[in-house]
Order: sequence, then structure tokens, then C-alpha cells
Amino acid sequence: MTSHKSTREVLLTCIDDIEIIAKELLDNLIAQKQQKPVSAEHSQLVELVLQKDTELKATLKLAEEQGALQQKVVALETEVERHDIEIRNLQKQLKEAEQLLATAIFQAKQKLQAIDKANSRPVNSEELIKFAHRISASNAVCAPLNWQQGDLRRPYPTDIEMRLGFLGRLGEMNVNGHMSFPELLHRPNHSMQQGSSVPNSQAGTYSWLSQNDLQMPGLSVSHLGVGGGMDHKTPKKENEDVDVMSTDSSSSSSSDSQ
Amino acid sequence: MSTRGVETDEQQRIRFQVELEFVQCFANPNYLHFLAQRGYFKDPAFVNYIKYLQYWKEPAYAKYLKYPMCLHFLDLLQYEHFRKEIVNGQCARFIDDQQILHWQHYTRKRVKLLQSQAEKHMMTLQNEPTPQKSV
Repeated sequence: MTSHKSTREVLLTCIDDIEIIAKELLDNLIAQKQQKPVSAEHSQLVELVLQKDTELKATLKLAEEQGALQQKVVALETEVERHDIEIRNLQKQLKEAEQLLATAIFQAKQKLQAIDKANSRPVNSEELIKFAHRISASNAVCAPLNWQQGDLRRPYPTDIEMRLGFLGRLGEMNVNGHMSFPELLHRPNHSMQQGSSVPNSQAGTYSWLSQNDLQMPGLSVSHLGVGGGMDHKTPKKENEDVDVMSTDSSSSSSSDSQ
Repeated sequence: MSTRGVETDEQQRIRFQVELEFVQCFANPNYLHFLAQRGYFKDPAFVNYIKYLQYWKEPAYAKYLKYPMCLHFLDLLQYEHFRKEIVNGQCARFIDDQQILHWQHYTRKRVKLLQSQAEKHMMTLQNEPTPQKSV
């Protein structure tokens, strides 16, 4: 049965059919008064009416049952809707919980990473403080409070400071004495023997090395060995640098030798 | 390996001082400009030496530095592009200006902080006597 008529349509067609048959019947009855009675047709029509009547009653019953079912369907649908709303609420709450947990886990992971990082390279707090003092006390990383334009202090070693340093005086001795580097290595020995204090530390504000620096605790020998092959050439250049250097790019020689 | 043989302790100490001072000289952009103009950065032996000096970045050595800015310049010097650029005087002056401004940055921040603290203190002092005045 491919064509399913709805119950309403079935009912309506039934009623229409009954109407037509009733009209036929009445026409026949009226015609009977005027002409000869056609009883065969008449009984057929009456049978038809009765048949249609039973059909109508059956369809009405069907309609009643369908009505009851429809009510059940509506009730179930409201149930389903209610459950649906509950499920959606739960889903929302789960999503929020998931987000909170995800952030919590992420932050915890970051903390763990930070802990690992800190543990992998531990630094002695005393050394940290010493280093912080070393770089701050001399205004090397932070400008002095009374610094103005034209003040000669700088965040880097100026050329005067460079000349007063160890490197600068090494260069002086090279120019004046015309000595080679290996001899220079032996020469400063005499000044160094004065209780392991660097001479330029007496220059006050220009000292770069404190007395503790010369003890060189725990430095790996590998670094000191690698540079051995290269030092032969480069220190001579360093000495030249310090002789002729000035903060301007002019090529005039410094006044060291004067 | 080395033509001079093993260094004595004394030689090692001197070399330590020399390299400590030299690496800190890199913090001075004018000095870098000076070196660039005299063509030192074109010498492969010197470039290798700069590469070798990177050991000052390790904590065991870095704690002896007084001018830690030099490490940044040491990194920059590893790039040939920077070595070429620093020959330009304008570049050196720009770096110098920026360095000095950065140097003043912490001071300014600290001064601002102290000022805001002082203002807050003044406000609390002013607020205290008013309840007495209203009587």
C-alpha cells in the first residue's frame, strides 16, 4: 500500500460518500413518487449506505485509538525534552570542569618544569649575591642616581679604564721594552708576588679584579689548554690595540708613550 | 698540539686576567668600532678567538665579570653581519646611545617607584589629622 491516506481524509471521504449516496437515495425516493419504483437500485443504494456507515464507524474507532496514541506520544516527547535539557546541563558542567582541570594541569606542569630547571643548575645563593653586588655597586648595569648628560661614567669600561687595566699596562711594557710576549709572562711575576694582590686594584674605582679573583677556584683546565695555540698571535694584537686606541675613530696614537 | 707546550700556573693566571679584561672591553661599542676599522674582524684567527672567548658565558667564569653587557656583544660578534656593520660609525653611536638609555632604565624605574611610595606616604599623613579637624 503505497498511498496511506490519513485517518482524517478517510473519514471525510466516507462522509462525502455517504452524502452522495443519501442524495441518490432521496432522488430515487422523490423519483419513485413520479415514476415507477426501481427497487433493485434502491436496495443497492441502501446497502451501500449501510456499508458506508459501518466504514465510518470503524474509521471513527480508529481515530479514537489514534488520538489516545497521540497523547502518549506527546507525553513521551515532553519526557524526552526534559531528559535532553538535563543532558545538556550536564554537558555544560563537564565542559567547565574539563577547562578548569586543563588549566590546573597546565599550571602544575609549568611549575614542575620550573622546578626541574632550577634543580638542574643550582646556584649558590651567596655567589649570586656576590655577583649581584659586583655588577651593581660599580654602576655597571644601573646608572648612578645623579648621572647627567656630559657625565663621563659609562656602562662599559672606558678607554681610560682600559689603559689603567692589566691589559693596558702589558701593552705599555711591550712598547717601551720591546719585549716578546713570553718574556712578559715572566716579568709581571715580580709584581704579582706581592701577596697575590693585583697592582691595579690599588687604582680604586678602576679595579676590575678583586683579590679573590686570582685564586681561580675550580676552573676547568680544558679551557686553559685550548687557547694555548691561539695566544701566540692574538696577544700581540691586544697590545697594539691598547696602544693606539681612543674612543673616537681617529687614528691618532694615544698619549701613553708621551 | 700547542707549539709552546704546557702553560705554567703563572701564565694561566695572567692569561685569565688578560682574557677577563679583553672580553669586558667588548661592552664598549666604541672599542668594537675601533677594532672593526682596523680590520681585526676580518682576520680568521681573531674570529676564532672571539668564538673561543664564549667560555665566559658559563656560570663558573661569568661570575667574575663586572660588565655583563659584554656577553651580549660577544654573542653579536659571532655573526659576520654584525662584524661588518660595526665598521659604520653611525652604528657604533646608535648602539652607544641605546646602551646608555638602557643603563638609565632601571634607575628611572626605581626613582618612579620611590616617588610613588613617597606620594602614598604623604596622602596617609594628610588623611590622619582631618578627623580631629572636623570636631
